Amino acid sequence: MPLVRLGLFACLTAGLGAQENAAWSFRGEAQPDLQASGAVTFVQPGPRRPDYPTFDLKNQAARFDGKGARLMLADSPDHRFDFTNGDAITLEAWVKLDGLRKGSNVYLIGKGRTKAGSSNQNWALRLREMYGSACPSFLFATTPAAGDQGDDRWHRWTTKRGLVDDGRWHHVAVSYVFGDPASVRGYVDGEEIQGAWDMGGATREAPLVDDDAVWLGSSMAGSPNNSFTGWLDEVAVHRRAIPAKELTGRFRTTLPPLAVAVATPRDASANAGNDSAPATGHKATQGAAPVVKASSFTAWDQVRPGEVLVQLATQWKPEKNLWPADALPTTESYAAPAFGFLRPPHLYVATGVRGDRGSPYFFRAGAKVTLPAGKHRLLLRGRGAAALFIDDRLVLTTPFPPAGSDDKPIKVQDKFLDLGPAFRFAPPGNREAWCEFTSDGREHRIALETIVGYVINPKSRRRAELGETVAAISLAGSQTWSLLGPGATTPTYDDAGWSRYAAQEEARLTALDDRHRADARATEADYWRKRREAGQAWLRSTPEIPVPTFPAGFIYGPQGFTTLNPIDAFIADKLAAYRAEVGRQSDLDFHREVWPILESKCLECHQGSKAKGGLHLDTRAGALKGGESDGPAIVPGDPSKSALLARICSTDDEAKMPPKGPGLAVAEQALLRRWIQDGAHWPEFRPQPTQLAPACSDLAFLRRVTYDVVGVPPSAAEIAAFEADGSPDKRSRAIDRLLADPRAADAAMGLWQDLLAENPNILNPTLNNTGPFRWWIHESLRDHKPLDLFVTELVRLQGSERFGGSAGFGMASQNDVPMAAKATVLTTAFLGVDAKCARCHDSPATSTKQEQVFALAALLETKGVQVPATSSVAMDKLREGGRKPLIEVTLAPGATVQPHWPFPEFATESVADALARDPHDPRDRLATLLTAPTNERFAQVMVNRLWTQLMGRGLVEQSGDFERSRQTHPALLRWLARELVRGGYEADHVRRLILNSQAYQRADDASLRTQPELYAARAPRRLTAEQVVDGLFAATGKPFRTEEVSLDIDGIRESDNSISLGDPTRAWMLTSTSNERDRPALALPRIQAVCDVLAAFGWRASRPDPLSDRDHAANSLQPAILANGVMGTWLTALSDDHGATTLCREATSPEALVESLFLRVLTRRPTPAELRRYADRLRPGFATRLTQPTEQRMTGPRRPAYYVSWSNHLDKDATLVRQQESEDARRGDPATTRLEAGWRQRAEDALWALVNSPEALYH
Amino acid sequence: MDRRTFLTALGLAPFAAQLPGATPLHLPKGKAEHCIFIWLGGGMGQIDTFDPKAVGDNQAAKKKAGSLYPSIETSVAGVRVCEHLPRTAKLMEHMTAVRSVQHKVIDEHAFATNLVHTGRMVSGNALYPSIGSIVAHRRGAVDPTVPAYMLIGFPNVSRGPGFLGVKDGYVYLVDTQSGPAGFTRPDGLTSDRESARRALLAGTGEAAAGSALAEYADAQKEAFRLAGPSFMRHFDLSKEPADLRASYGGEFGQRCLLARRLIEGGVRFIEVSHNLNFINGTGWDVHNDGITHQHTLIRELDHALAGLTADLKSKGLLDKTLIVVATEFGRPAEFDGRGGRGHQGSAFSMVLAGGGLRHRGAYGVTDDLSKKVLQDPVSVPDFHATILTALGVDTHVDLKDGARPVPVTDGGKPIGALFA
Repeated sequence: MPLVRLGLFACLTAGLGAQENAAWSFRGEAQPDLQASGAVTFVQPGPRRPDYPTFDLKNQAARFDGKGARLMLADSPDHRFDFTNGDAITLEAWVKLDGLRKGSNVYLIGKGRTKAGSSNQNWALRLREMYGSACPSFLFATTPAAGDQGDDRWHRWTTKRGLVDDGRWHHVAVSYVFGDPASVRGYVDGEEIQGAWDMGGATREAPLVDDDAVWLGSSMAGSPNNSFTGWLDEVAVHRRAIPAKELTGRFRTTLPPLAVAVATPRDASANAGNDSAPATGHKATQGAAPVVKASSFTAWDQVRPGEVLVQLATQWKPEKNLWPADALPTTESYAAPAFGFLRPPHLYVATGVRGDRGSPYFFRAGAKVTLPAGKHRLLLRGRGAAALFIDDRLVLTTPFPPAGSDDKPIKVQDKFLDLGPAFRFAPPGNREAWCEFTSDGREHRIALETIVGYVINPKSRRRAELGETVAAISLAGSQTWSLLGPGATTPTYDDAGWSRYAAQEEARLTALDDRHRADARATEADYWRKRREAGQAWLRSTPEIPVPTFPAGFIYGPQGFTTLNPIDAFIADKLAAYRAEVGRQSDLDFHREVWPILESKCLECHQGSKAKGGLHLDTRAGALKGGESDGPAIVPGDPSKSALLARICSTDDEAKMPPKGPGLAVAEQALLRRWIQDGAHWPEFRPQPTQLAPACSDLAFLRRVTYDVVGVPPSAAEIAAFEADGSPDKRSRAIDRLLADPRAADAAMGLWQDLLAENPNILNPTLNNTGPFRWWIHESLRDHKPLDLFVTELVRLQGSERFGGSAGFGMASQNDVPMAAKATVLTTAFLGVDAKCARCHDSPATSTKQEQVFALAALLETKGVQVPATSSVAMDKLREGGRKPLIEVTLAPGATVQPHWPFPEFATESVADALARDPHDPRDRLATLLTAPTNERFAQVMVNRLWTQLMGRGLVEQSGDFERSRQTHPALLRWLARELVRGGYEADHVRRLILNSQAYQRADDASLRTQPELYAARAPRRLTAEQVVDGLFAATGKPFRTEEVSLDIDGIRESDNSISLGDPTRAWMLTSTSNERDRPALALPRIQAVCDVLAAFGWRASRPDPLSDRDHAANSLQPAILANGVMGTWLTALSDDHGATTLCREATSPEALVESLFLRVLTRRPTPAELRRYADRLRPGFATRLTQPTEQRMTGPRRPAYYVSWSNHLDKDATLVRQQESEDARRGDPATTRLEAGWRQRAEDALWALVNSPEALYH
Repeated sequence: MDRRTFLTALGLAPFAAQLPGATPLHLPKGKAEHCIFIWLGGGMGQIDTFDPKAVGDNQAAKKKAGSLYPSIETSVAGVRVCEHLPRTAKLMEHMTAVRSVQHKVIDEHAFATNLVHTGRMVSGNALYPSIGSIVAHRRGAVDPTVPAYMLIGFPNVSRGPGFLGVKDGYVYLVDTQSGPAGFTRPDGLTSDRESARRALLAGTGEAAAGSALAEYADAQKEAFRLAGPSFMRHFDLSKEPADLRASYGGEFGQRCLLARRLIEGGVRFIEVSHNLNFINGTGWDVHNDGITHQHTLIRELDHALAGLTADLKSKGLLDKTLIVVATEFGRPAEFDGRGGRGHQGSAFSMVLAGGGLRHRGAYGVTDDLSKKVLQDPVSVPDFHATILTALGVDTHVDLKDGARPVPVTDGGKPIGALFA
C-alpha cells in the first residue's frame, strides 16, 4: 500500500518547521513503509460514486478485523508527528463500522501507546462507544507530574453524538490547537458536533512527545477493546486546524438519511419518547398489524384540487380490533389542508351540544398529490391502526395500539425512530412506520385510513382520539420533512412546523365548529322565536316597574360621566331616601352604637320564631309592637312609656332584663334612653358614603371593564388605542368591543363551573364527579346563548357525557340519587333556593321540603324516583341525648316521588303545557318552568348574579338563597329582570346596561374594605383566582404552559376511567391533579404550581357541590404562593419567551421601560416617586444590557423527552422522570441570554415587585 | 383590626371555643396538643403488619392464605406484630394497633382515601373538610404565628379544608428538600436581591388603612415573616444530631423528624405521607408483583415510627403528641394470581401512639384470617372521634357549612377504652 500524499489536501508548513501532512488512501496492496500486523485486508470496496460523489467508481479501502489488526509506521525523523503548544492538528478518516463493542475506545489513528499498559499517548483519534453510537474522540497525554492522581494526565474530548453501524461510510474529523482547550472541534458527516473534555479535563499543558510509532486501527499491543472493526479510507494527519467550512464540505452523499436509533441514558438527557419500538417480554406489547386488503376511499371524483377530503364512518360498532372487511358508509365528511390530523370537527346534536361518535370509528382521507420524480421517504403515524395507500397500493401500515398496562418500562422509550436532524419525534401514544417510495413525477392518489379508538372489551373502549395522525414526506436528497398534501406548499413537519400547523388547524376547526353549532341552533329557531314572543307578550301584560325620577337637587352627571341610565336613577332614589333618614337621625349612630347593645344583650332570646314572650327586638316593627306582657317595648320619643327601658333599668330580680348575668351598664342605659328620646331611628343601612364618587379615570375604567369582561388586564395596544380615542362614547364602544371579544367566554367560566358544580376528574370518576361539561358551557358563552336556551340545554342533559356535552352535568359518581343532587344545583343556580339540606330532610332554615327536591329529580330522571335509606335521616337516630331534633323528615325512606313541578310560587305548571318544546317530555317541562317569563324569580336570580359579578355585591346579598337574604334594591332588581326578558334573555343586554351606568364607572374609594350597599362609592375589588392567574400571565407576557391535563397521555385507559382536558390556555381549563394515590409518578408539577395559586385565591380543584359566592378574604398563603411559589418564579424570571424580555430589549430608556411595565401590570403610569425608584434600579447597565444570544448548549444527543403516563407510572424509573420534571418546573425556563445577567436580575426584581404589589391583584 | 381578628383572617389564629356548648359529663376528653398523621397510601395490609396471623404461602402452586411473614413478640404481652416491625415491637406499650377498623369502600383508592380523611361518604351537597382541617379549625395552631396544619406529601382534595375554606387548609411540601410551597425562597435568589425586591415593593402603590388592599398587604407581611428564619429554621434538619437523624431512617424517617420539629415550632397537625413508591413500585398497593418488596416498606415504616416514638418520648413530647398511622383500607389474607393482595375493608388496622391515651398494644379482634371483626368494631367516624377527642376537640359542637350545621363526625364515638 502506498503512502500517498493526496493532492486533495493542501500542504502547509506549521509549528517547528516545514513539515508536510501525512495521509493514507488504501489503493492496491500493502506498501513497505507501512507494516501490517494481524488481519488487515486490502482491495476492499471504499466509498464510491454515485453514493459518495467525491470518490471514483473503483475506490478502495482497507478492512481491520478488530482483533489487533493494524498498520504501523515508525516515528518520522523530521518530527512531522511531533506536536507541542501552539501547534495545530487535524485528524480525519472515512469510516465504515462492522459492529461496535459496548464500552470500547477503538483507535483510528494514534501515536504512542503501542505497548500493553503504556500511557505515552502523543495524540490519537479514536471512536468511543457511547449509548450505542461511535463518537469521535481525541486523546492525548501530558508528561507525568508529581501529585497527579487518577486520570489527571489524560485529556480526552469526545463528541456527544456519533455514527452507528448502518452499513454506510461516514466521515469523522477532529481538530485542535495544543495549549488551547477551547480550540477543539469535532465533525461527523460534515456536521460540527459539540463535545466535552473529560478524564483530566481541558488543559493548557503541552502533549507528551516521544519516539513511539504511529498506528492505524489498534493500540496497546493490539488489545481487542482498542481495535477498530470495519473499513478505513482516507486517513490523514494535518499540521493545521482545517477550518470548519472546509471540513463540513468533505462529506457528500446522495443516499437518503437512514433511520438512526440513538439511545442515551436518562441522566444525560432527562425526558421522553414514544412506542415506536415494541416492548419485549412484557404485557404491554405492540399491537398486531392491521390486515388491509384495499383502500376504502373511493370518492376521487369528489376530491377537490388542493384539498384533502376526509370521510368519517361512525356507524360501525366492532366488538374486536379488526380492520373493517367492507367499505363502511360515510356518515360525515369535511376538507382538510394536508394529511395532518389532530381532531375532527366536533359532532353537535340538538341545538348545538357536543355529541359522541362512539369508539371506535373509521376515518379515511384522500387527496391528489403531485410529487417530484425521485426516491422519497414516506412516514405514517397514527394513534389507532393506520394504513397509507398510494395509487390504490398499500405502502405503509401502523399496528393496533398495545394492550394497556401500568408498569411498562420507561426504558422502552430508549428506542425511537429518528429520520434526520430536524425529524419530529412521535408524541406519546403514536405508532409509526416509514418507507422509500419512488415517484414518476406525476399526480398520485393518496389515501390515509385509520381506526379511531380501540375496543378493550365489549363494554369498554378507549377514547376515540386521532393523536397525531400524519402522513409526511421527505423528498429525495432532502433531510427535512413536510406533511403530505395537495397544496402548492405543504406544512413543514418538524416541531415548530407542527405547532404552527396545529394552531392553524385548531383555529380553522373552531370556526367550523362555530358554524355547525349555529346551523344546529337554527333547526329550533321557530320554537325559540315563539318563546321570545311569549316573553314580549308577558312584558306587555304586566305593569312596568317605574324608573324613579332623579331626586331634586341630586348631583349626577358631572364629574366626568358621559352616560346616565335608569340604573343610576334607582341608585339615586335609594340613596336620597337614605340621606333623608340619616338627616332625621340624632347624633347617635344606630348601627355603631345602639345595635351592638341590642344584639349582645337582647337578641339571644328575642328574635326568630322562638322569641321569648313573643317579643322581637331584631326589627323596629317588632320593638314597636312589643311582646305578650308589657305592651310596646319602645315608644319613640317617650322613654317613660317604653317597656324596654323599664326592664333594663329594673333592679327587681323577677323583672330585670337580661335575666341572667350583669345587666346593662349605666352608660348603655343612658344611651338607649337618649336614642328613644330622639325618636328611636332605626335606619335600614349601616353608615356609608352618601356622596356620589366621581367617574374613575379612563385607565381605571379600562382595567376594570377589561378584567370584568375578558378576565385579563388591557394589553399595551388596547391601552394605547383607548387613550388615543377622543370620542365622547369611547367607554360605550370599549364595552361593546369587549362583550363581543371571544375571551369573554373564558372570563365567565369560573362562575358557571362553580354554580353548576362542574367536577370532572382526569382519573377514575370518584368524588361526585361529573363529565367535563365545561366545553358545553364555554361554547354556550362563546355563542352568547340566551340564558333560557342555556338552561334548557342543560336540563335536557344532551350529547356526550364524557367529552363535553351537557349530559356530563347529569353524571354524579358515587351518589345514591344523582338527579337529586342535580336538583339542588338547579334550584340554587336558577331559583335562588338553597335546597342543600332538603336533599336528605326538610330544610330546617328555609321552607324547602325534601319532597320538592325529589320531584325535580323525578323530572330530570323522567320517571318516579325512590328515596333510598341513604338519602334520608332516621328520626330515631337523630342525635342522642333526648334533644328535640332540629330537622324534620316528612318524606319516608322508600317513598317514590313522581315527576312534577314543586314550586308553584314561581310558575304554575300549566305554563309548560303551552310553552314547552315537547310538553310530554318531563325535562322539557322542567326547563320551561325554570325559564318561562312568568317565572320572575329566574330572571331576578340571573340578573342578580350578573350584577354581583360586576358590582362586587348582590342586590340580593346571597345569590343562591333569596329566602334568607336581604334585598337592598328590590325595584331595581325587578326592573333589571324585566330588561333580561326584554333583551331576549341575553346576559350581555343586561351587562351592557350595568357597564354603562355611572354606578359601575365610579372612582374607587381606596379606603373601603367592602362594596357599600348603596353604591355611592366603589370599593377596590380583588381579582378572582382565575383573573389572578390569567391576568398575571397576560400582563407579564409569559406564555401559559403546563402539562396536558391528563394522566393518560398515550391513551391506553378506558374512556370511562380517563379523560384528557387538553392543553390549557386559561385557568378555567385546569382541574384537580387527582393524586389521591400519593404517587410521585402521577404528579403533574406544572399544573400543580398553577393550581396552588388558584386554590389560595378561592378556586376549587374539586367541585362536588355548587358554590354561589366565593370567599374573598385575604390569607397569608396568597401573597406567599405568588412571591415564592413556582408559578411566581415563572412570571418573574426573564426567559427567552417571556414578554418582558422583549420589552426590556426594546425599551428606549429605563423610564420608558418602567412606564410600560406599570401599564401592563397595574394599568397605570408610575407616580414620580415610583418612576424614580424603579428607574434608578434599572439605569445601571441599561446602555449595555443587550447581549448577543449564545447558542443553546447541547446537553446530549437529540432524543425525545421521556414521558410518564398511566401506562408506565409503576416503573420505578417513572418516579425519577417525574422528579426531574418537578425540578424543571421549579427551576423554570432558562434565563434569557439576550440580556446581560446582572441587569436582567435587576429587571426581574422590578417585575417581581410589580407582580407582588397588592395593587396588582385589585381593580 | 385587633391582633386576634387579624390572625383569624390569616387562618392562623386558634379557633378557641367559639361555640362553648355543654359537654356531657360522661364523655372522655384527651389532652393531646399535636397530631402527626402518617398516611400509608395504597392500603397497608394489616395481616402483613399489625394483625399477623398464621403464615401462608403466596408462591406455592396452590396458594395458602395467611400472613406473608412470621410474627414476633412485642413489649405488650400477647400482642404480636410482623417480624419486619422489630423496632416498633419494642415500643408497643406506647401504641395501640386498632385492628377492627372497617368500612365498605374498597373499589377505588381515591374514594376510600377521601373517606378516611374526612370521615364521611361523598355527598353532592358539601365538600367535607379533612381531619387536619377540622383540627386546625377548632384548635388553631399551638403557636398562633405558624400554620396550624401542614402536609408533607402531595396536595389533594381529600386533605383539604372543604367547606371550612382556605384559611383552614394546609401549607404543604412534597419532600424534605424542597421546603414548603410559597415560603421557600426560589433557588438562586440572594438575600440582597430579596431585600431589593422588598424595597421596591414597599414603595409601589399605597394602601389606605383599613382598606381591602391594606388587609392584603398585612397578609403579605405575615407571609414574608413566615418565609423568614423564625419559621423556616424548623425545616433545617441538619440542626439535628447525626445519630438522631439516623435513628429515624431514610427520607420517610426524615419527614417524621421534620414533623417533630414542626410540632416543637407550634404546628398543631401534620400529615406525613409515606409515598415513596419507588421502593417497591406500587407503595402499599401490593397487587401482584408489588408484594415482592413489601417488607422493605414495612421496615422503613418500622424504622421511622419507632424513631419518632422514641424521640418524642425522650423529649417528653409523646404524651402531648398523638401519632396516627392511617391508610385507606387493608388487604385480604388470600393472594392474587401473581402472589400479591387485593383490597379489604371489612377489617383492617390503623395505629395510634402517644397522645396521652391509655395504650394497650392492640384493640379489637379479628378472625383467623383477619377477614372479619370479631370484637370491638371501629367505624371510620369512631376512629375520627377518637382522634378528635384525644386532641380535646368537642365532637358535639357542629361545624358550619355556611348556615348549615354539620356534625364534626358522622355519628362517631371515641374508643372509650383508650381514655383513662
